Amino acid sequence: MSAPILSLERLGVGLPSHGSGRPVTVLEQLDLTVQPGEMTALVGESGSGKTIAALAAMRLLPPGGTTEGVVRFDGIDLLAQDERRMRALRGRIGMVFQNPLSALNPTRTIGAQVADGHRLHAGGSAAQARVRAIDLLGEVGIPNPARRLDDYPHQFSGGQRQRVMIAAALACDPKLLIADEPTTGLDPLVARQILALLAGLRRSHGLGVLFITHDLSIVADHADRLTVLYAGRAVEWGAARRFFAAPRHPYSQALLGAVPRLGQASLHGIPGLLPDPARRPPGCRFAPRCAYAQAPCEVAYPPPVGDAGEAAACLYPQPAPLLEAGHAAAAFEAGGTAPLLALEHVTVRYGDAAPSLSEVSLELRRGECLGIVGESGSGKSTLGRAILQMLPYQGRILLDGQDLAALPREALRRARRRIQPVFQDPRESLNPRLRVRETLAEPLRLVGMRDKDRLAREVASLLAKVGLDPSLADRFPGQISGGQAQRVAVARALATRPDIIVLDEPTSALDVSTQATLLTLLRDLARSERLATLFISHDIAAVSWLADRIAVLRQGEIVEMADTMRMIAQPNHPYAAALIDTAPRIARR
Amino acid sequence: MRDGVAARLLSRRSLPRGALLGGLLLAVLILALCFALPLVWTADPYALNPVSPLAHPSARFPLGTDEIGRDNLARVLDAGRATLLVAIPGAVITFLAGLIYGLSSGLAPRWADAVLMRLLDAVLALPGLVVLIFFAAILRLSTPSLILLLGLISWPPLARLVRNETRAVRDRDYVQASRQMGAGLFHVATTHLLRVMAPVLAVNFTFLVGDMVLVLSALSFLGLGVQPPQTSWGGLLESALQLVALDPWWLILPPGLLIFASLLSASLIGQGLLARQGGGR
Repeated sequence: MSAPILSLERLGVGLPSHGSGRPVTVLEQLDLTVQPGEMTALVGESGSGKTIAALAAMRLLPPGGTTEGVVRFDGIDLLAQDERRMRALRGRIGMVFQNPLSALNPTRTIGAQVADGHRLHAGGSAAQARVRAIDLLGEVGIPNPARRLDDYPHQFSGGQRQRVMIAAALACDPKLLIADEPTTGLDPLVARQILALLAGLRRSHGLGVLFITHDLSIVADHADRLTVLYAGRAVEWGAARRFFAAPRHPYSQALLGAVPRLGQASLHGIPGLLPDPARRPPGCRFAPRCAYAQAPCEVAYPPPVGDAGEAAACLYPQPAPLLEAGHAAAAFEAGGTAPLLALEHVTVRYGDAAPSLSEVSLELRRGECLGIVGESGSGKSTLGRAILQMLPYQGRILLDGQDLAALPREALRRARRRIQPVFQDPRESLNPRLRVRETLAEPLRLVGMRDKDRLAREVASLLAKVGLDPSLADRFPGQISGGQAQRVAVARALATRPDIIVLDEPTSALDVSTQATLLTLLRDLARSERLATLFISHDIAAVSWLADRIAVLRQGEIVEMADTMRMIAQPNHPYAAALIDTAPRIARR
Repeated sequence: MRDGVAARLLSRRSLPRGALLGGLLLAVLILALCFALPLVWTADPYALNPVSPLAHPSARFPLGTDEIGRDNLARVLDAGRATLLVAIPGAVITFLAGLIYGLSSGLAPRWADAVLMRLLDAVLALPGLVVLIFFAAILRLSTPSLILLLGLISWPPLARLVRNETRAVRDRDYVQASRQMGAGLFHVATTHLLRVMAPVLAVNFTFLVGDMVLVLSALSFLGLGVQPPQTSWGGLLESALQLVALDPWWLILPPGLLIFASLLSASLIGQGLLARQGGGR
């Protein structure tokens, strides 16, 4: 084995805390190596310390951050370099971030931005740099690079911008590429292409890649080694192939199990919450949430079990569980009953642009869940908002056979109450200055409930319905976790006892472990409340788990609509087939 | 990291709970000073004592006398009544006018919003002082008319601010969700917009009170504000500063400290209310 290009040895990071003034340790004892020509994945949920680890390695921590341990890049200890020396070294480490739009300068052409790195680190004339930029853009898969060199970042799609970012990073001729969640927020198809690109580059350039992500399933195909972080400490690390064949740490298993896969019978979230960095348990950090924890787990951090190739820090490593296959169809009233909601040739158009939604017709029955999948820009959110009557449309939307657009004002107000939304980002969809109690009481007040005791009882029962502790009622949205906030949003949607719930990407802003719990909750609620649900998502595996039928939307049109089992077994439309192909499958394990 | 360590570390520390209490105490103190103390300290603020001009503080004149021998304590208390009786109602009127105008414009359909904003531009284009001088020439300036006039020229900046905030918040998901539950515009304004804008509003109200105290002293300087022989804190400060070569600290410090104390009190109350309303961010 050759010398690693990057090695972190017992890396620890402390950040200043504004609250108590005492520094908080966010990362401890992290060992990790990246070999030239290999991809190492650093996997963890938000709050695990994965981004901080990368920032610490690059010496880019916020002011007041402290580090301990060793960061060795190409044999040089980075933590011991002065800032001037460090600046020269950083050029040899490329970085790619989650949001390319904020990392690229909107007022300069992409050619200039890619050429910058080359001129800064290799020197040479502007003309040489331009030629190099064309080469690099071609290499990262920008079609027709010579023509697009003088375009600006906003003229590219999200996936292409990420490619431009990668080209800009390569322009410095780096030996190591650190990619921090580069695929988050991209459509699954595009995300896989970006990952394949990085995987290809590591071979062709002999590049070491450190890939930071919250999504274990996305790195399964390409990572050579990986480290799973939980609450600031590595829980399992080693060769990726051995890890995916038999993960041993209960957290690794839970994280893998929480990712929805096509054809999976049940989803298992991880109960409990991530411990606060200032109050982490002394022993195994995962013990409070672990199904297999015993008394010794709480005493000291467990020593690694395993060998140099693959190891887990666990006292009771578990054999990999088998996921159950199957699809539990809902008991909705199929057949003769009239549809609850019907769309007839619904078209939405903004200005003179091509319609965001064109001629969409579909039906939704009581108790049924219809999944809407498609990439960003396919019109799936527009469809949801049209059904909610939040935007003007052409065509007819019928609720119980009544044309909503034709209803008088007061009747429309009552009808809209029967269709409730749950939005993507719970932080956006709850008023930050309203206590949970007030947020949940709002819909009840709006239907005329004034009695304080009755309101308090209703709020408590709504919280219980979504599995939240009644004590949360007095908190503000900023004081609860993202998953809890999304449950509050679900509870608010249920408050007026609607018939239809429109779920617009309800899980995509949440961590993997929370997603699974929320999906399970949504399915149970839809069944117990006999709700019809419209589940909009780009994650076809999640949709297939919840939905009875799936509609695939592309460029504003439904290209295929079929029963879930039929759709995932045998998609007819090539686009639907491509989408289904990207989804994680149960059979691979 | 969306809601991880970083966010928690960066979140603002909540203000000490004492802010609201301190601000209220200070306000009560100032109000008691201006409105209750004159019942005890009955010296005539306008009576001349030619024998003792510019006297240092003493038992007879606790805050000394001015250049023509008027009792300074009585003057400060009298000026305080004049200042607060105009500044506070003036700030309240300006605040309400700006708030209601801004909310209406922000929630109105696009065309109505455009009309209201152009109207606001027209009002903004009028130079405030010139308008005041104009009205001063045709009206007899009484306290109520002064309050109304101050309100008339000061509301547009706040209205524009409120309108812009409203536009920024009105399409948020929680407002959409509220509308979906059947909420009307009035409900949206009172339940969501006011709560979200509370920090901005509280800070701006504080500024308004301060502005009013200052504008009032500028007006007094032009002979348009509080009519002589009555004067305001700003007026007292103004005339004391003309004698600065004689170092009459007893004439400068009391009105200066009182202006500062009023602003501090308004600010503390604003911040305290905010802290009580809380909100994680």
